[in-house]
Amino acid sequence: MRLLLFVFAAAVLFAADPPKKTFPFPHTQEDLPNGLRLVTIPTDSPNLVSIYIVVQTGSRNEVEPGKTGFAHLFEHLMFRGTEKYSPEKYQEVLSRAGAASNASTADDLTQYYTTFSKEDLPQILAMESDRFQHLKYSPELFKTETGAVLGEYNKNSSNPEEKLDEVLHDTAFDRHTYKHTTMGFLKDVQDMPNQYDYSLRFFDRYYRPEYTTIVVAGDVDPKRVRALVDQSWGNWKRGSYHPDIPVEPAQLAPRENHVAWPSSTLPLIAVAYKGPAFTDTQKDWAALDVLATLAFSRTSDLYQKLVVNEQKVDTLDGEMARRVDPNLFEVDARVKRAEDVQYVRDQILDTVKRFQGELVAAGKLEAVKSRERYQFTMQLDNSQTVAATVARYVALKRTPDTIDRLFAVYAQLTPEDIRAAARKYLAESGRTIVTLTGPAAGGGK
Amino acid sequence: MRLLAGLVLASIAFAQMRTVTLPGKSPVVTLRVVFTTGAAADPEDKPGLAHLTAAMLAGGGTKDLTYKQIVDAMFPMAGSVAAQTDQEMTTFIGATHVDNLDAYYKLFRAMLLEPGWREDDFKRLKDEATNALRIGLRGNNDEELGKEALYSVLYRGTPYGHYSTGAVSAIEKMTLDDLKQFYKQHYTQSHLIIGLAGGYPPEFLERIKEDFDALPAKDSTPALEVKPRAIDHTRALIVEKNTRSVAYSIGFPLDVKRGDPDYPALLLMQSYFGPHRMSGGRLFQRIREIRGINYGDYAYIEYFPRGMFLMDPSPNLVRRSQIFQIWIRPAEPPAAAFTLRLAVYELDKLVKEGIPADDFERTKEFLGKYVNVLIKTKSAELGYAIDSLVYGIQDYNGYIKNAVAKLTREQVNAAIRKHLRADRLQIVAVAANAEDLKRQITGAGPSAIQYNSDKPADILAEDKIVAKWDLGLRPQDVEIVPAAKVFE
Repeated sequence: MRLLLFVFAAAVLFAADPPKKTFPFPHTQEDLPNGLRLVTIPTDSPNLVSIYIVVQTGSRNEVEPGKTGFAHLFEHLMFRGTEKYSPEKYQEVLSRAGAASNASTADDLTQYYTTFSKEDLPQILAMESDRFQHLKYSPELFKTETGAVLGEYNKNSSNPEEKLDEVLHDTAFDRHTYKHTTMGFLKDVQDMPNQYDYSLRFFDRYYRPEYTTIVVAGDVDPKRVRALVDQSWGNWKRGSYHPDIPVEPAQLAPRENHVAWPSSTLPLIAVAYKGPAFTDTQKDWAALDVLATLAFSRTSDLYQKLVVNEQKVDTLDGEMARRVDPNLFEVDARVKRAEDVQYVRDQILDTVKRFQGELVAAGKLEAVKSRERYQFTMQLDNSQTVAATVARYVALKRTPDTIDRLFAVYAQLTPEDIRAAARKYLAESGRTIVTLTGPAAGGGK
Repeated sequence: MRLLAGLVLASIAFAQMRTVTLPGKSPVVTLRVVFTTGAAADPEDKPGLAHLTAAMLAGGGTKDLTYKQIVDAMFPMAGSVAAQTDQEMTTFIGATHVDNLDAYYKLFRAMLLEPGWREDDFKRLKDEATNALRIGLRGNNDEELGKEALYSVLYRGTPYGHYSTGAVSAIEKMTLDDLKQFYKQHYTQSHLIIGLAGGYPPEFLERIKEDFDALPAKDSTPALEVKPRAIDHTRALIVEKNTRSVAYSIGFPLDVKRGDPDYPALLLMQSYFGPHRMSGGRLFQRIREIRGINYGDYAYIEYFPRGMFLMDPSPNLVRRSQIFQIWIRPAEPPAAAFTLRLAVYELDKLVKEGIPADDFERTKEFLGKYVNVLIKTKSAELGYAIDSLVYGIQDYNGYIKNAVAKLTREQVNAAIRKHLRADRLQIVAVAANAEDLKRQITGAGPSAIQYNSDKPADILAEDKIVAKWDLGLRPQDVEIVPAAKVFE
């Protein structure tokens, strides 16, 4: 197999001699006196600029009972205008800039992003600063927007994987806010129209400079961007709220749950363990991230067995969630026949045991390291993905420097580290298994 | 202009294959190998054959390597090969870091030119295709199901009359010989366009051309003809399944495609009336922003699959026939009939009144700049350049900018009046209580709408008109099918 040897040699070379910087773009990182952080990344793609405004507030910050889904609701409300820019005026400016603009919410962040031609940078930065400081919406508009949020819940609700995810987190967590999904519980979403006053409080708490980082990538000059940001964001007042996010107590025994899905679908199984928080200094998180790939990705022995050879499973993957606080190491499989669910579950558990007992071959580990680096480098092919990638890390550690630190940790991982992480975290007592099946006669093939 | 700077468009007399190259400094090399054939070439009794053939090449082994060996070899390079099958185009998309170009390309080449045709790969990919239909589409994605059902109804009896992934019962009967036959007949140099972008060495293109010269020269299949039937009056198809809410797709055939005189005008209309996943569109504003009825409402003049997962359209979906389409995201059942009437009311208003003057200027400015954003990745730039070659236009960015700059409001509104209409529509709904919905949308109304907050007087006045808006639907024009029968 000359071909395969060649490939492997190339990959090993890359992994053995990592460049000092994985994130290839020079950038600046500055803090304004009010606590707002600015990261500017000039790229060589002409004309376009991409701005990601990251608020380090997500469903993790929803600490009060009955108020799940509010971080996400805010993602919507932020488009409801200010005294200076009505929603119509806001739309018009974006339109005239030819901008692509949207927002998204996850466990640890809410982000607002816009990509446009560079000549519109001053106006867009000024307009964005206005809504972050002076958002104003009437109770009527608030209620109307809650209808759109319920609509979003509805469009997601035809997908059983969303339901499985909801039940898995609800089962695995007792106290931490990762117990609920970013959409929130349906009953809370339905109650949102009655929570106008709470929404004002939520905005007052979290839409503050110390929670916010502006990432600007593209055809820009960092000095000019700083001057523009000082001008329009400099007067934003720092807040004082610190959420008391509950610490999840140690799980003492394995848990199970089941979802009976009302319409025809393939059985799903999720096997999850309580894992560590994201870290760019310790090996634990990176080791589990690599383990998920080694044990459950397309190149794993288990994938080969269940998906390619036996063809009992349709999709299989594993992931160590990348979160601010400890979250789940999760393995998901879609099984072709209901009678194989137990078998697939046992196969996943056996695989976990195997990685707790055996050392992974050094060559395989190096292949994963090589893949991580190439995958990371290849996605950075335009300003929007550069800004989006940085935003993901900003949500965790508030700096793009975490990227190089994380890849330095990956580079140091040994087969012993992988086994140690499997032994420490993939323990039966911290395990949660959730299955989902459709009506008995239904299902695919 | 980024697009023009590095763009070398060439139709080269190397047999008949065509090439599109975008050389550059990027360390990533992007490949888009397109065959101008697809689901429209499926034999009548084998819908899904083109899709399964492409899936076998991109997801199966080669003569020398098993699928597992390919996956393992690609893994450290983070390499992959993806296939996209549409009615008239089959595209293989790959990317690699230039460090690994040689090793990656050897695999890519073998996958496309020396397929292994193994039984176990075939069985796995057949299951994948039928599960994509039964679970991915019918089970989990009401909105895509409605969109694809709309296409199937509008193109009934034409080569586009089936969904490109096919139908479950036909896929189950397919044999490896069917696939081999399709590959031999249609994967020819006459259909081939090689697209290449990024920092590849100068001699690399010649190497690809020499390799792909091994394909047969010509496909002897007669040229495709796609003529959708005219719709005599508004009809509805209700796809019935157990679901929380009601999603709609509404449309009719559109005799305008990229390169035609009215295309830029209609693209401007789309940018005003329902730009994809943007909040500035008229439909979005009236249905979601003002009334809070659902999550989004959009309009299209070109095929745009997987819209719920994508912010930008995928290139390499060139079609000689397109439809105009409105996509209404799921509404709560009590508001469902009103929502449909509101969408058609807005369409009627667009046709009769055209685009208002200030909105026209704003949209014109938007579109002239937005094309830069649309083609922001190398892969998209390459894909658009290939499409431009097939449609016979200059580079897309320049084409739109030049055309839009010259458009007047009168021209756009004339194009709207000429090509759009609010009657003779095909409506598709995905809903739980089909008979109940049928009763509500065939009657004269009024269809109820209740809000959770006070609405301005002008909206309430408009609602009174909308509630009784005549859809022109008679009970005999409504067809109900259980979801389990769609694409079965």
